[in-house]
Amino acid sequence: MKKLGSATDPLWYKDAIIYELHVRAFADSNGDGIGDFPGLLTRLDYLQDLGVTCIWLLPFYPSPLRDDGYDIANYVDVNPSYGTLNDFKAFLDAAHQRNMQVLIELVINHTSDEHPWFKAARIAPPGSPAREMYVWSQTKLLYKDAGIIFTDTETSNWTWDETAKAYYWHRFFSHQPDLNFDSPEVMEEVLKAMRFWLDMGVDALRMDAIPYLVERDGTSCENLPETHLVVKKIRAAIDAEYGNRFILAEANETPADVRPYFGDGDECHMAFHFPLMPRIYMALRQEDRRPIIDIMAETPAIPDNCQWGLFLRNHDELTLALVSEDERDYMHIAYSNDPRMRVNGGIRRRLAPLVDNNRRRIELLNSLLLSFPGTPILYYGDEVGMGDNIYLGDRNSVRTPMQWNSDRNAGFSKCDPARLYLPIIMDPIYGYQTINVEAQQSDQSSLLHWTRNMIALRKLFQVFGRGTLHFLNPANRKILAYLRDLDHGDGSHETVLCVANLSRFAQPVSLDLADHNGAEPVEMVGYVPFPIITDAPYVLTLAPYSFLWLELQPSHENPAS
Amino acid sequence: MATTDSVFESSSPSVRPGTELLVLLAAMTPEQREQILANLATSFPADGLVIASPDELPTDSEAPFRMIAAPASETSWTLTAADFINAYQLAEKNEARAILMLSRESGSLGPSALRDLANAVLAGSTDLAVPCYDLPPRTGLVNSAIFYPLGRALFASPVRFPLAVDLGLSLRMAERLATAAHRLTALNQAETPLWPVNEATVAGFAIGQFDVGLRTLPQPGGPDLNTILPLLTGSLFSDIEAKAAFWQRSRQLPPAEKNRPMSPASPPEAATDIAPMLQAFRLAYTNLNEIWSLVLPPNSLVGLKRLSTSDAAAFHMPEGLWARIVFDFVLAYRLRTINRGHLLGSLIPLYLAWVASHVNVTASGVDPASHIETVAAAFEADKTYLVSRWRWPDRFNP
Repeated sequence: MKKLGSATDPLWYKDAIIYELHVRAFADSNGDGIGDFPGLLTRLDYLQDLGVTCIWLLPFYPSPLRDDGYDIANYVDVNPSYGTLNDFKAFLDAAHQRNMQVLIELVINHTSDEHPWFKAARIAPPGSPAREMYVWSQTKLLYKDAGIIFTDTETSNWTWDETAKAYYWHRFFSHQPDLNFDSPEVMEEVLKAMRFWLDMGVDALRMDAIPYLVERDGTSCENLPETHLVVKKIRAAIDAEYGNRFILAEANETPADVRPYFGDGDECHMAFHFPLMPRIYMALRQEDRRPIIDIMAETPAIPDNCQWGLFLRNHDELTLALVSEDERDYMHIAYSNDPRMRVNGGIRRRLAPLVDNNRRRIELLNSLLLSFPGTPILYYGDEVGMGDNIYLGDRNSVRTPMQWNSDRNAGFSKCDPARLYLPIIMDPIYGYQTINVEAQQSDQSSLLHWTRNMIALRKLFQVFGRGTLHFLNPANRKILAYLRDLDHGDGSHETVLCVANLSRFAQPVSLDLADHNGAEPVEMVGYVPFPIITDAPYVLTLAPYSFLWLELQPSHENPAS
Repeated sequence: MATTDSVFESSSPSVRPGTELLVLLAAMTPEQREQILANLATSFPADGLVIASPDELPTDSEAPFRMIAAPASETSWTLTAADFINAYQLAEKNEARAILMLSRESGSLGPSALRDLANAVLAGSTDLAVPCYDLPPRTGLVNSAIFYPLGRALFASPVRFPLAVDLGLSLRMAERLATAAHRLTALNQAETPLWPVNEATVAGFAIGQFDVGLRTLPQPGGPDLNTILPLLTGSLFSDIEAKAAFWQRSRQLPPAEKNRPMSPASPPEAATDIAPMLQAFRLAYTNLNEIWSLVLPPNSLVGLKRLSTSDAAAFHMPEGLWARIVFDFVLAYRLRTINRGHLLGSLIPLYLAWVASHVNVTASGVDPASHIETVAAAFEADKTYLVSRWRWPDRFNP
């Protein structure tokens, strides 16, 4: 008998609105300056009201926190700073009661060097099962073709361990030794950890750093066939024992390289579309739809039970790993002219500062996020336009405490401000006195209300999560126009025309909609009927950075259409 | 006899002999039950019928039907989530193909009405058979003012009594209702009403509406309008919220039904004194204006201001104004603009104002059924208002 998740529809993740947050950054209930599960629980009503249907929690496990929790020291417990296992269960139950699902991290490429497995491996004899849980070598030349990811801090993927008298492999920080998936013990332990959380009722797992699970000499040690076998084994275990759950792949690769992680629908249910994100920003700055069209043209079809995960920003830098050198230069100049805004080649800024806090640009980008084929993922704080702090190290610039109100510590914590895990944003533009949830809740015209309304609107139309995409090709390249269509299988279709003006000036556009001759476009926000489509070009004028979502309905004047 | 358009059933198909119909009776007096059993005996072959009743079963071995025990419902005046769960479980257990749910006072339903409701679902062409009652002109006005117009406008449903207390259900309809009911019982809301017509519409199931003539409706024992109206509207508004993705899509409205004349058998009703209703409305206009101003836009508030100073004789709430009031309350319920209990409580004096207006309109010679159709038409015409407000609930609107 399969253990079902809290959602009733097996494909629920296609219609989900995912909200990414760090427990540490969201709400502190005990005044120690660090967010925790009891604090998060008190904010669930806010998330429900916003329209969130799935909460993605960044790692909350015991950890020395040298990589914000991605250095795990125990896979089956909660970091005491965030609460207890019982606190997590209470949060999980409360989320489910509000019809929200919970997505957690399954960071299995590596552990912390303080994990008991690594401590045991260092002193275990070479070749023993305990030792073999990690990747060891006597030479740094092994796997020399693999690139270094954290170029700002690491010079090699190997680090010498004096106790083990050997080098250990780490694709990320040197304090994060990679697990060895050639060891059967590793797979067994990974499945054990996975079952621990799924049995508790967790609905989804994000598989961190998935391309790097297996290493082979003479290769880039990325996306290897053996890695796909590991993923298939994990998926098979889930399918055999659980229902209505999903796995999300973090593979910062080109769409063609990510495609295999869906397998034949037997690997990951969802994968991030990494290269789309920088190209959306590029299209906006260049006022040209071409970067978006090009990357979507390179995006292969995926199995019916699979989905892309879309985002504008997240807890990491805005990665530029998948753009050309010229494009990277352009993005650096356009969006991060201060070198402090950059890390690991990417841009460590939040959404609002990236677009100069321009409300119309924020809305336009969100309209793309909500109407492109995939599941939208919002990063905490972006719904109110939170800013960043580029004077904090690493990616902490975008990991500051959530700004709830204009009280001390932005309502995040009652502690002495000096105790906060990171300082609150206090500058005059994005500071918590200006940008906070409470103020925006009272302001009907706020970004928060706008975001909530747009999420609610998207949720009314399944076509956004499940429909096909077809780009139109108007002469004016400042206009991005596309059709989303969902065939209900009973002869009826749900069809939406999305038109976005990427320019800072008003733009005309003439669309070829002859295939929909006779249909009546109804503007979806205000339910306003537009002129009926004919064989003639359909002419629209869009205000600067504006967008239109038009549902193509059968015309009442022309029932035959 | 059915009275609906081509989408709806228009005749009572004959029943195959030996078919298994479960009749689920509500708790009732022995006299009422005897009457129903007699009517059932006239309508159906005994071997195809199972009667489930929460009352003490007859010990008489000559009882014409197989009788089984059913759990008692705590609510006797409407069908609740618990009733639908019981119905499905009993039907499954007894391998029934269809179900006839009969509430208190259903002895007033004649054999042909019972046959219509049951045969439609037994024949397999209809999933939900709903009665259309002939009621006295001033009975069931909450239904006429709110439930029926909302059902027509949002779900394109011509069912005149969406909260009918007698129903015919196919097994798959019963299963769907039981599933919906389980969601409520999981929230400790077993006594909350369900909205079978909305459920069937969303599922794409066939609905049939059947004229069943006069019926005495069961009345709530204890609770009064102040309890009943919030309970029922809250339940309906929740259902509307849950089904928003469905009713916001464009749908073909059925052709308008002919007006249903009120039963000629109904004795003429005595003139209704609307003074207490107007007094309640005017008092509320003074006391609740602050709440209403959170819910209603300026145009509606101006309309209410005019009404508050209107003479009793000339008192008339425009149908369009009433439609917008109800729509804005549906929206405020969804948005939790204020505490939902307070919100629905503040709808009561507005409803009383509508009733007073309805009484005045009908006293002037307008057929009550015709006026109710006019109200429903106003809801239909203004559906776009609700959709646009729902999608963009900005307070800055006309």
